[in-house]
Amino acid sequence: MEKSIKKYFPIFVLPTMVAFAIGFLIPFVYGIFLSFCKFTTVVDWKWVGLQNYTKIFVVNGKVDNTFLHSLWYTALFTVVSVLIINVVAFAIAMLLTKGIKGTNLFRTVFFMPNLIGGIVLSYIWLMIFNSILANYHRTIVTTQWDAFWGMIIVVCWQQIGYMMIIYIAGIQNIPGELIEAAKIDGASGRDMLKHVTLPLLMPTITICSFLTLTNGFKLFDQNFALTGGNPGKMSQLLALNIYDTMYGTTGWQGVGQAKAVLFFIMVAVIAVVQNKITTSKEVQQ
Amino acid sequence: MKKKLLSVVLSAAMVSGILAGCGEAAPAANDAAAPAAEASEAAPAEDTAPAEAGSGKVYLLNFKPETDEAWQELAATYTEQTGVPVTVLTAADGQYSTTLQSEMAKSEAPTIFNIGNATAAQTWDEYTYDLKDSALYNHLTDKSLTVEYNGKVAAVANCYECYGIIYNKTILGDYCTMDNAVVSSIDEINSLDTLVAVAEDINNRVDEINEQFGYELTEAFASAGLDDGSSWRFSGHLANMPLYYEFKDDNVDLIAGEGEITGKYLDNFKKVWDMYVNTSEADPMTLNSGAYNAETEFGMGEAVFYQNGDWEFSALTNEENGYTVTADDLAMMPIYFGVDDANEGLCVGTENHWAVNAKAPQEDIDSTLAFLEWVITSDEGRDAITNKMGLSAPFDTFTGDYASNNAFAACAGEYMANGKTSVAWSFNATPNVDDWRADVVAALTAYTTGSGDWSAVEKAFTEGWAEQWKLAEEAANN
Repeated sequence: MEKSIKKYFPIFVLPTMVAFAIGFLIPFVYGIFLSFCKFTTVVDWKWVGLQNYTKIFVVNGKVDNTFLHSLWYTALFTVVSVLIINVVAFAIAMLLTKGIKGTNLFRTVFFMPNLIGGIVLSYIWLMIFNSILANYHRTIVTTQWDAFWGMIIVVCWQQIGYMMIIYIAGIQNIPGELIEAAKIDGASGRDMLKHVTLPLLMPTITICSFLTLTNGFKLFDQNFALTGGNPGKMSQLLALNIYDTMYGTTGWQGVGQAKAVLFFIMVAVIAVVQNKITTSKEVQQ
Repeated sequence: MKKKLLSVVLSAAMVSGILAGCGEAAPAANDAAAPAAEASEAAPAEDTAPAEAGSGKVYLLNFKPETDEAWQELAATYTEQTGVPVTVLTAADGQYSTTLQSEMAKSEAPTIFNIGNATAAQTWDEYTYDLKDSALYNHLTDKSLTVEYNGKVAAVANCYECYGIIYNKTILGDYCTMDNAVVSSIDEINSLDTLVAVAEDINNRVDEINEQFGYELTEAFASAGLDDGSSWRFSGHLANMPLYYEFKDDNVDLIAGEGEITGKYLDNFKKVWDMYVNTSEADPMTLNSGAYNAETEFGMGEAVFYQNGDWEFSALTNEENGYTVTADDLAMMPIYFGVDDANEGLCVGTENHWAVNAKAPQEDIDSTLAFLEWVITSDEGRDAITNKMGLSAPFDTFTGDYASNNAFAACAGEYMANGKTSVAWSFNATPNVDDWRADVVAALTAYTTGSGDWSAVEKAFTEGWAEQWKLAEEAANN
């Protein structure tokens, strides 16, 4: 058995590897290469070295803060959205595992927003926000903070349901005897949460925080449709900033590509660190 | 057994997924080429194809989504007649540069593509074929309707458009008959000062006008939306006015522009902008919300004035839209700017230029040029452009039945015939268009909502211009 698995290993892996190489590996490596080039189309490039990377920060001999602004704006956005989504999703999951009436209906309803695409969703919310804000002579893009909280609301509304489902699955996986034993030992609701539920939920928390974290950093659709980066470029998250550089500034495709490489490195590092931290808190049952 | 079956189904699904993935690259060109391929099989039998049609292929990446159907038909007709395969792909609205970028990277790249302005000509410099000796260029009535870059005629206009201030001549005419009206006939509105006075008066007397004539007017000017779907009317089209007059004073090419501008006519820009905002019902604080629809306001007879172009004609007169205005109500006047109002005509130009891909094989280039010539000289081609697409073509072959039926285009002709000078589309010179406009709109929004002052607009306008110009030059030179 073992032997034949070894023997046929390459054949079984081949289709996936081919797909992975075509869809991911080759474009990825080629993308890194292009970040050192000036190019109009991806097959028509000229090597320029590190120039693209310096142009991210220095424009016309002056320091340019556009990228740094969208970097900290994105970081802040991610932190806030990760916290809100996970706390609320967990809370709802706890409520919906208590066996209250209509649990299934609630779960379905909370999950629903996740089924609508980001662009459509954002256009709908845009109308809602603007018709409410019009009463106060504001719009969703009056300042970058209006835009910030607008995006937070939309993203939370969309993702809480999804994370809730994952949390529910995790909570239902906690063995009944552990809870029973804790109850017999006289643990209060708070103790139960702190010493039984949360430690056993760590794998779920790892997954959910990883998903929300990367989603926050990579957010594009909602940003694009809801604020379009307005006012000015003040509400541009990183992904939109890269897109804007790529298509908005003449001859800057390479700079956009360079930004994308930096972006990748950042997201990868942060995700790995986060994974390490939360995984280390996981316990064996 | 069941499990086995399931795994077979699953692996089949996986494999087909991969195969489908591999085959993806081709269909973009294929679907339109299909009728072409059929026809080319039939062609050799007759062999009646004109020799000059060539042996290559034509691939048009179309810029105007609304003309897609007409182009597909026209392409099929041409293939039927000559056997030359013609592919037409239309990019989705707002996605042209993205689509062009990915299509150009393919081995079967477009042979005809759209160049909007000098910036695009710079981006695609290596891809533009010099059209100086083409039939297309020879037939062009106004040789200024080209994009010249790097000593080449990089692209030739395939239609021209005009813009200005669209007005409802029925309502405006009725206003003129009122007691104490600022003017007694529309013709008297021939300067910025008069226009401001008229707009303010109409806006103040909306109820009175409605009562007397039974209109449903709410404002003089339709809302000046500063959202991304409307702000180009001001950061592009209105901004054209100060640019045009400054280029003119400096004696530089009106379309190519210059690297540094002083913004000497920005006060006029401010005056016009203030008029738009102050004589409209829209809340100045929420102009960037995207909730306003100026076309609807004008179309439903709620506004008298609306700054936009002749491309609005079909939208405003299309019965499906349910607008109350009719073709008889529509006319256009220049954007009076307080500089040379007596001689100013409408703004005439275009962002639609055909460029031919210089990197395509020579036989494809020949076929492409032959196809374009056929489009502007044959009955089928001219009929499609004028009647089906509703465009005004700038070629000497479009006369008689093929002259444009657009009321606004007629206004442009009228102003020209009366000796007014058409304003060139100087905004085509804007370096890094999107970036520059975004900054101007941000400053303009801040000024309008009161959170910023006018000097920021001036700064974004002039300093932003110089900055972006330098960047564009730098990008072009290395």
